[in-house]
Amino acid sequence: MNRYEPPAALHDTATDRLAAPMGRRIDRQAPRRFQFEGTPYAGYAGDTLASALIANGRYLLSRSFKYHRPRGPLTLAGQDANTLVQLPDEPNVLADTQPLTEGLSVYGQNYAGSLDADRDMKLGALAKFMPVGFYYRAFYKPKGVWKYWEPLIRKKAGLGVFDLDADAGYHDKAYLFADVAVVGSGPAGLKAALTAADGGARVLLIEQEPELGGALTYARFATDTAPSERLLDDLVAEVEAHDNIRLLCNATCNGWFKDHYLPVIQGRRLYKVRAKACIVASGAFDQPAIFRNNDLPGIMLASAAQRLMRHYAIKPGQRAVVLTGNDDGYLAALDLVEQGVEVAALVDMRAAPNETKLGDAVEAQGIARYREHTIFEAHHAKAHHRVTGVELRPIAGRGEVGEARTDIACDVVCMSAGYMPAYQLLCQAGGKLSYCDETAQFAISGLPKRLYVAGSANGFHALDRVVHDGARAATQALRDLGHQVDVLDAPKGALEQVNYPWPMFAHPKGKEFVDFDEDLQIADIINATRHGYRDVQLVKRFSTVGMGPSQGRHSALPTARLVAAATERSVSDTGVTTARPPFAAETLAHLAGRHFDPFRQTPMHRRHVELGAHMMPAGDWQRPAYYPSRAGTLERLRCQQEEARHVREKVGIIDVSTLGGIEVRGPDAAEFINRIYTFGFLKQPIGRTRYAAMTNEQGVVIDDGVSCRLAEDHFYVTATTSGVGRVYQSMLQWNAQWRLDVDIANVTSAYAAVNVAGPLARQLLERVCTGVDLSAEAFPYLGLREGFIGEAPAYLLRVGFVGELGFELHVPSRYGEYLWDTLMEAGKDLELRPFGVEAQRLLRLEKGHVIIGQDTDGMSHPFEINMGWAVNRTKPFFVGRRAVDILHSHPPLRRLVGFRLPSTSAKPLEGHLVLEGERISGNVTSCEYSPTLDAIIGLAYAAPERGEPGQRITIRTEGGETVTADVVALPFFDPDNQRQEL
Amino acid sequence: MPHAIFTAKRTPLTPTLKADDDVVHLNGYTLAAATPDAANARRGQLDRCALLDASALPRLGLRGPNAAQALIQQGYCLPERPNTASFQPEGSLIAQLSASEFLLLGAPSLTPSPWADSEQPLRPGPGCYLLPRQDTHGWLALTGHCVAEVMAKLCGVDLSPAAFPVGGVAQTSVARINAIVINASTASRPCFYLLMDSASATYLWSVLEDAIDEFDGARLGLMDYLAIAG
Amino acid sequence: MKLMHCPLNGPRNISEFIYGGELKEMPSPESCSDREWADYVFYSDNTAGVVTEWWMHVASSYWFLAERHTVTDEVLRTFDPKEIFTHRVTFTATEARP
Repeated sequence: MNRYEPPAALHDTATDRLAAPMGRRIDRQAPRRFQFEGTPYAGYAGDTLASALIANGRYLLSRSFKYHRPRGPLTLAGQDANTLVQLPDEPNVLADTQPLTEGLSVYGQNYAGSLDADRDMKLGALAKFMPVGFYYRAFYKPKGVWKYWEPLIRKKAGLGVFDLDADAGYHDKAYLFADVAVVGSGPAGLKAALTAADGGARVLLIEQEPELGGALTYARFATDTAPSERLLDDLVAEVEAHDNIRLLCNATCNGWFKDHYLPVIQGRRLYKVRAKACIVASGAFDQPAIFRNNDLPGIMLASAAQRLMRHYAIKPGQRAVVLTGNDDGYLAALDLVEQGVEVAALVDMRAAPNETKLGDAVEAQGIARYREHTIFEAHHAKAHHRVTGVELRPIAGRGEVGEARTDIACDVVCMSAGYMPAYQLLCQAGGKLSYCDETAQFAISGLPKRLYVAGSANGFHALDRVVHDGARAATQALRDLGHQVDVLDAPKGALEQVNYPWPMFAHPKGKEFVDFDEDLQIADIINATRHGYRDVQLVKRFSTVGMGPSQGRHSALPTARLVAAATERSVSDTGVTTARPPFAAETLAHLAGRHFDPFRQTPMHRRHVELGAHMMPAGDWQRPAYYPSRAGTLERLRCQQEEARHVREKVGIIDVSTLGGIEVRGPDAAEFINRIYTFGFLKQPIGRTRYAAMTNEQGVVIDDGVSCRLAEDHFYVTATTSGVGRVYQSMLQWNAQWRLDVDIANVTSAYAAVNVAGPLARQLLERVCTGVDLSAEAFPYLGLREGFIGEAPAYLLRVGFVGELGFELHVPSRYGEYLWDTLMEAGKDLELRPFGVEAQRLLRLEKGHVIIGQDTDGMSHPFEINMGWAVNRTKPFFVGRRAVDILHSHPPLRRLVGFRLPSTSAKPLEGHLVLEGERISGNVTSCEYSPTLDAIIGLAYAAPERGEPGQRITIRTEGGETVTADVVALPFFDPDNQRQEL
Repeated sequence: MPHAIFTAKRTPLTPTLKADDDVVHLNGYTLAAATPDAANARRGQLDRCALLDASALPRLGLRGPNAAQALIQQGYCLPERPNTASFQPEGSLIAQLSASEFLLLGAPSLTPSPWADSEQPLRPGPGCYLLPRQDTHGWLALTGHCVAEVMAKLCGVDLSPAAFPVGGVAQTSVARINAIVINASTASRPCFYLLMDSASATYLWSVLEDAIDEFDGARLGLMDYLAIAG
Repeated sequence: MKLMHCPLNGPRNISEFIYGGELKEMPSPESCSDREWADYVFYSDNTAGVVTEWWMHVASSYWFLAERHTVTDEVLRTFDPKEIFTHRVTFTATEARP
């Protein structure tokens, strides 16, 4: 779709618009040109796409989903799906809310050929072969036939077209805090906001439309329009000037979540509003009447016609028929005639208006009035299918008409059958709907604390009552927030009759639409109940009523009435389907735009990047997986093996700063460690390290590390990178109960650490370390010393780790990068080489090290994984002690064993199953090719009787191929551990 | 080689310096030197929206049943209750994080606070433990009219002046990581201190740079800030 | 999104907290039967009513207790564990197991 280039001379629409004060939203000094379906048009800044097209005489905007019926705007307020159009980079745009911009190129959707002559309209003729729910009963038999239908249906279904290269632009989110959030700026919302703000509350006023005022901006409330116009000006001026009120226009509140947490979408930002109280003054959706062909272009709600006039200065047509079930239709008729539209008939379904002088006013304008009549069928032209006339009938009973017929020519029909409160946010919050048969309206009750409803959403329609109700809600909110205020009573007086109880007239030829989005007629709803679907939830799923973009705004009320009648229940009992967020469509860009992806980096991070390391995520840490090979390439296996070999032959350095570290200090430090870990620690000598494994109360091993005793009452315990957070939280939870005299600190980030490993490790350290005698005699294996590496104070630990002579150095993290630089510089002629996580894993596996979380799972207890030696059975207590005892007394179910395969064998992967015949006895947990041993080695769970070296286990690898591996003793390499104890 | 210009002590955000930058040393850390010209423009930026890395300034933690007593004995003025902070006469700040934990933040000045001259002036006796906050946490500062609005893009706690007065402390989630936010505003300029795990400092810095863009925010060097505010 | 009132930090989004299980009294690990220990570790009462449970405010590493009604999901009260855990807990030694 190309950008539109306007031709030189254009049709001037300036003279076609109504005179001011009509057209409050358009700027007549700012023309805008655009094209629709390739035809050039003109409008004004402030127009929407739909209003500009209607101003140019075009009503047909879309084709309906199922029958491809021609459609035009119904609400002009974005509350129906008849106006969905295609923009170059965005499908399914609501033309009646999309602002008109210069050069916009717009197309229709969902047609074959052209919008005006859609070849798919012939599907409408097949309607009798597509009864309600037909998709459940066709397309699946005989077996396999769906494969034939699916591509056809996919082509036909769906509306717009995506441009996959379109850039959504920068979207983000922000919190907004308020004491009182008011949703809707109609008269009730404006008054509520003012009352709350005057009472000292911080108010946030949220309005979906571009301007404040709601119905005050388009509707007529009395024959004399001056008072409501003044009210609008006064309220808006006060609200805009008030310091305590923050305004958000063009902002849609899309849901209500617990404790008044509201997503509000404005432009490209999603606001997360947190309010202390919330007033929903969202208004009510005026409802269409239901008669044959009520969906033709040119047939709209009375309020839509009023919006056309007051917002956009557009005459809806030349000759109108108004169909009404309440007094608002009369007021709309007066508006039409005053703006030069010939009103051929005012068809009142009732016997008389509530306000008699309205009848007089209408007749004074020369408008023919029909009482207790309805439109039975609407007719249309061939071109654009615009309405050309209606057939009236007298009402003979509920939903029934008499024989006498009157035909009236017209090109616009305005309907006003009643109101449905905009209940969505309130029902999301747990509000319950109940139907009053007398007024034929739904009402809401059962709202949670500090959520209030006001205005027409609360069933009030007379302007003075609506305003009072807004103030009433605000006083309640103020009082519940702790302000001193007198709470107003609810508006007084009788219930208002604004709903005609049964504005639905079935026609023998059908096409009386209950749901425009889904092309559902009266018979479709009733037939769903005849299939046995009595519950309105089932009617919805079977018929798809209410599942389209307008989500039941106009179909819920008639569906409830029809289903109630068909199943002989009250409308209250029938109810409507569950309201769920979002209220209006929201894009993925709003939800996902500018999301936060925390990452953690060690102090040496820059060095790894400079060296060209291939980085990998380890939880939220970034760690080097491997560094470039000698040839300069980044290949996982090659680099892993080169690095591992180098550690075994010379010396390597790895950044282990991510290792967890917990500092435990105080008189009860040893006692605390003793209770958390399975080993014995009370007698751990100062200056020595000791392996520390931890079980949970189920006896499952959940983490491990090394305990360093720095003083009688001072321990520094390491933990796994991914486990330290949980370990720390668990320690705090235990001590909240034990109340030992101890301080527990998570110091993981306080220390940067490296492991220097290999035969030349001691030689390297001697060059840079001061304050420590590094000889084997003075600093034996498992020892712990304090000294300096250059300027940096350091703990030095001799740990097994990769099975070579190795020193783990911990320095305060501010010295981390310096430590790395110092060692790399000093190690140059010793060929010190960095190694990464991949090589580390291989080296550790060669030593048979069990990695918690990799070689253990949610059931691994110490005796299964050869860690019985680390369990002290004589101390009084450790977490999981009892469970470990119980598990140990049961026959073992499996054992973790080391296995070996020839290097030429198929290589098992982690997770591959170990089988005893047909039975699964375990799984592989780690497996690598070891260049040092020139064999494939790994760890796996197997049947307990396979636990001894010399046994063989069967492993099923990729593609179902089985291999038989030898069970061998651990460690695989340097079985006497001589190298690490040098 | 370029690394030689750095001293041994580095902050998580130190690596943004380049080899030919003019540097100074503060508390053993290497920082970009202050640039004396355009001080007024910088002052304006600080008043509107500025972000700086204060990690080179001293900080430490103190926790335990006797921590409060230890501080009082040394003449410090403690906040009233947890999640508040009090300014000390020499400019440092003491924030109380829990019933028994305190965080001491050095004054924004070239002269170090008394407790920061070496790490052991506060003799932690029994029941009082030092916490290595210099290394566990990074320290960023956000200044200007924009502070509450910037934070509202990242944090679910209301940090507007009415809800979060000067001396307020909020321990919460900022851009999905744990952080401590302190309202360290002076009479002339709003200022929030942000402390986070030092391993997350580069992440939070990039998040804040993005967040301040809307307010024409800019980053400022610590030495420039000390020249204006110290 | 629900708010939880932390005794230390005040009202906060529930996403700032983690749940730490129901408050359960540990039977004596020394003297209880295997079944009693398994019951303690694996079973809970599944009460439809007010339960006391552990919650932790992650950013401040603060554990506390909450009384919550499991049917309405309303948190009635939150308080410091010191209210219940008033003194140091000791585990006595017994004879070494064979």
